[in-house]
Amino acid sequence: MGRRTPTIDAGLDRLREMARGNYSLAWMESNPEGWGQMAVAGPAGIGLVDIEVDRYAEIPEHASPRGGVALRGSHVPGKLPAPGYDLNERSRLWSNCAAKLYDEAVARQWNSVTDVPWDQLQELPEDLEKALCQMCTGIAEFELAAADATARWISRINGNFHEIKLFLATQLADQARHMDVFRKRALANGGGLLETSPCQHDLLLAGMRASSYTTATALMQILCEGFSLSLFHAGEFLAPGEVEKTIFRLCMQDQARHVAHAVSHLQCFLEDHPEGIEEIHRALDAGEQAMFRLTLEPQTIEPRAILAGAGLAGIDLGLSRVALLYARQVREYLGRLGTAGLDRAGRITIPVELPVQPCGGHAR
Amino acid sequence: MNMGGGQLLGGAGTVEEKSAAFPSVEWFEKLAEVMQENEAFYRQLGPIDCTMVVIVDDRIFELVFLGYGVESVHDLFALSDAAASHFTLEGSLQAWCAMIDNIRENGSADLEHTLGALTFCDAPLRVGGPDQLEIDVFYRFNATLQRFFNDSAEIQTTY
Repeated sequence: MGRRTPTIDAGLDRLREMARGNYSLAWMESNPEGWGQMAVAGPAGIGLVDIEVDRYAEIPEHASPRGGVALRGSHVPGKLPAPGYDLNERSRLWSNCAAKLYDEAVARQWNSVTDVPWDQLQELPEDLEKALCQMCTGIAEFELAAADATARWISRINGNFHEIKLFLATQLADQARHMDVFRKRALANGGGLLETSPCQHDLLLAGMRASSYTTATALMQILCEGFSLSLFHAGEFLAPGEVEKTIFRLCMQDQARHVAHAVSHLQCFLEDHPEGIEEIHRALDAGEQAMFRLTLEPQTIEPRAILAGAGLAGIDLGLSRVALLYARQVREYLGRLGTAGLDRAGRITIPVELPVQPCGGHAR
Repeated sequence: MNMGGGQLLGGAGTVEEKSAAFPSVEWFEKLAEVMQENEAFYRQLGPIDCTMVVIVDDRIFELVFLGYGVESVHDLFALSDAAASHFTLEGSLQAWCAMIDNIRENGSADLEHTLGALTFCDAPLRVGGPDQLEIDVFYRFNATLQRFFNDSAEIQTTY
């Protein structure tokens, strides 16, 4: 037996009392207001939205940082050690659709091992394989950094807002999976990783160093992930095979949830903090400039143009199709901000179209 | 609509092929029946909760998806009759026919005829909605929606 300590002495005393039949059982009566809950299953099962009722649905405006890691709605016997949460105000982190999106996320998970038809990988001409591998390098790099940015905030959010923490955990899992699947595609078909993107680093560092959760979300999810959501839509259009098309389609679903959560959060934030609008605008001013530099960086735009033109020989044609993608990225970005209550149409710092003659039709 | 039909079996126990004219409520109901029959696959993709409005020239259809199936199909007089929360998929009869024929021919949409490919340039199909967040719902459930339309391979479609 180890050394006797006050903790061990107290524990053994308690055990002796229990041996004499002296049980406390006080915990059984600790939370009468929270007892008697019943869940009604929805069409897909019991979701988070189905159990957030009565007192369990009461979201505090201000959560005590001294509540330890206690679950919202449970009985807290006195003050507990502070776990160091510094995001304790509902208005600075809330998103009305977090619970619904969490349910959607956990029920629509997929994996990069068995859900991608890897057996259908086809040998590609070298120019297409290199373009695809370069694009995968950039996307995997982005997703890795996006995961770091998400992780940075999860542990700072007060546990009373578990809907947000849970959703962000799924977002983190999605980002990890995206990094994995794009890296896997780059390494799976005779190619490999190509060049890292300095401009992407500028953009991601701006998001990772954002001064508040809301500005980080506006930069990382509405701007960056919003642009990549449109790219994934284009990816379905550009994909040379069923493997890539499946990857883009599955990632597109995940990315759309992240963006929806961010838009809903920004909407909540601006309703409560209209004074914060200028801070968001300033962050987006800088973010858009970094995004534009990234978009026109050779290792970003050229592989997209090669894929869109179905080969290096079609890169000029592909460039016009990349211009379509860019216009869509900007249009959807402004649309999302508008839905959140941030009218940026008159303030956007980058062109809404690239000066390239657009042409429609299919890539292949 | 009645979603409880299941597969129709002929006298020898063979599956009788579904047939319907497109566009019609009946065609979408047949598709919903196929979805119900293939529920195990849809469960792998996860539940779906959204309202999709399909516009074919001047015809408008509202499909409400819930769980792993279609809850209702309605023929609408006007887009304003649709549920407030919805996205639209709009195209000419010709564009829709090309997609359906391609699916029928290949068993599922080929690389040029997926919803993603057809909508990316806003032509031949276009995704719309009351706002961008509603449009994004199309992205959130894209794999299920693609599978839903791919199931039209099991329907003998007339126009």
